[in-house]
Amino acid sequence: MLELQGLTRRFGATVAVDAVSLAVPAGQMLGIIGRSGAGKSTLLRLLNRLVEPSAGRILCDGTDVTALRGRALRRWRRNCAMVFQQFNLVQRLDVLTNALLGRLAYQHGLGRARLLLTGGFPAEERARALAMLERFDLLGLALQRAETLSGGQQQRVALCRALLQAPRLILADEPIASLDPANARLVMQALRQANRAEGLTVLVNLHHLETARAYCDRIVAMQAGRIVFDGPPEALDAARLQAVYGLPEADLAAESEAAAARPAMA
Amino acid sequence: MSDAETAAWRARLPEAFAPPLRRRLLRALGAAACLAWLGWALALFGFTPARLWQGLSGLATILRLMLPPSPGALWGDILRGLAESVAMALLGTVAAALLALPLGVLGARNLVTATLLRFSIRRLFDGFRGIDQLIWALAYVRAVGLGPLAGVLAIATADIAVLAKLYAEAIEAVERRQVEGVAAAGGGWAERLRFGVLPQVLPVMLAQALYFFESNTRAAAILGVVGAGGIGLQIAERIRVRAWDEVAFIILLMIVIVAAIDGLSARLRRRLIGGAGR
Repeated sequence: MLELQGLTRRFGATVAVDAVSLAVPAGQMLGIIGRSGAGKSTLLRLLNRLVEPSAGRILCDGTDVTALRGRALRRWRRNCAMVFQQFNLVQRLDVLTNALLGRLAYQHGLGRARLLLTGGFPAEERARALAMLERFDLLGLALQRAETLSGGQQQRVALCRALLQAPRLILADEPIASLDPANARLVMQALRQANRAEGLTVLVNLHHLETARAYCDRIVAMQAGRIVFDGPPEALDAARLQAVYGLPEADLAAESEAAAARPAMA
Repeated sequence: MSDAETAAWRARLPEAFAPPLRRRLLRALGAAACLAWLGWALALFGFTPARLWQGLSGLATILRLMLPPSPGALWGDILRGLAESVAMALLGTVAAALLALPLGVLGARNLVTATLLRFSIRRLFDGFRGIDQLIWALAYVRAVGLGPLAGVLAIATADIAVLAKLYAEAIEAVERRQVEGVAAAGGGWAERLRFGVLPQVLPVMLAQALYFFESNTRAAAILGVVGAGGIGLQIAERIRVRAWDEVAFIILLMIVIVAAIDGLSARLRRRLIGGAGR
């Protein structure tokens, strides 16, 4: 059970996330929709503690996540894997090493010192990563630099990295906004499978309402940092959506396309 | 992952577990050669802990003599020397930057398509860069006589080649599409350069020139030692008569001046580059 209590983040005068309270039961697949700048990204980054809250708390199974420091914070980040719109792979490292980054938080003591010094992961971890890469049809690219891969391939590597963290939670920030339809489907299905087969809680930001309807158990709509809708996908019909956003669904979709075309703004 | 599974993966994709034997051998060989060279050099120069220790105690003596720093009797000479050094650096850098601009344009691959011309200009830069400022200073002191003129010429000559190379590389890194926009509007070679390339590279070029000004202020102190004007002469004279307290005073003043120039040029650079971003 993940609980957000009055979570707020201000950037100067603007309030990106405004007193958001939300309870997400374990094993739920939650889609977060909203226009660009509605605060979706900041919300996910707050959960991973990549951004610190201005006010409010995050509780996970009773533990106050917002108070974690040092090693406990690293363990929390390991437990909630992040998937980014721009993949955030280290371009000059090979695909295998990028996937192995998901195992970083599992290295301790002497093994960690050795890893930091030589950059070489233990054989067992390599085997684990190779098996994951094979699952996503990436084995043939394992020794290539990440920068030589297409966007779809890079996002699959990023998914491998996330799943290798053996997380309890996946935070996906617009994971398919920069992908072609085939790869988008593949990534969404992988997220859905991680949710269904492995029981992971998944929070995913999406531009397209359609995608959220197709894959998610529950939809939260955000506007200006606040939650303006929270319920099952079927409750979010056209009339409801127009009330929420003040414009019909077709316009919203068109706007999303435009936003996806300039990812730097997202 | 069990050991058996790991072993199976290792058999299937050995190169994912360790680089090939050949590369590992080459790496080990390279590392051994580097170590051997290092050891040989240390032995050749007679680096022993005892000598290092002795040197340190000598340094400690000098440091003790430096305290407290004192301006001595010749205040005026010191200030004049410092001002001369800064002026030498400024003149030398400005001259080098102005001359380096056209040379950099000629050396840029995306502007000069005549390979032979560009190649010979680039090699000329490389040749000039092989000669240090100090050597130029020694030559100019013989040619134009003792004094700051020799220093200015030495700074300018040594920096032209380096700046020209940096400028050429900055020009090669410009975004093509902006230049294409100017070409599509009917701009010729000169217009593309003036309105497509220069707006992109000018802030970078000025920033680099500012870096050189700062570093040349420091270098100008050395040039004085060989007679090319500036504060260096004052330092050399005081070291000769072991007036270490006065040397320390001059060093402190130079640190202040270099820090001031660094701070000033950092602010200028920020404004230039910020202005380009808008």
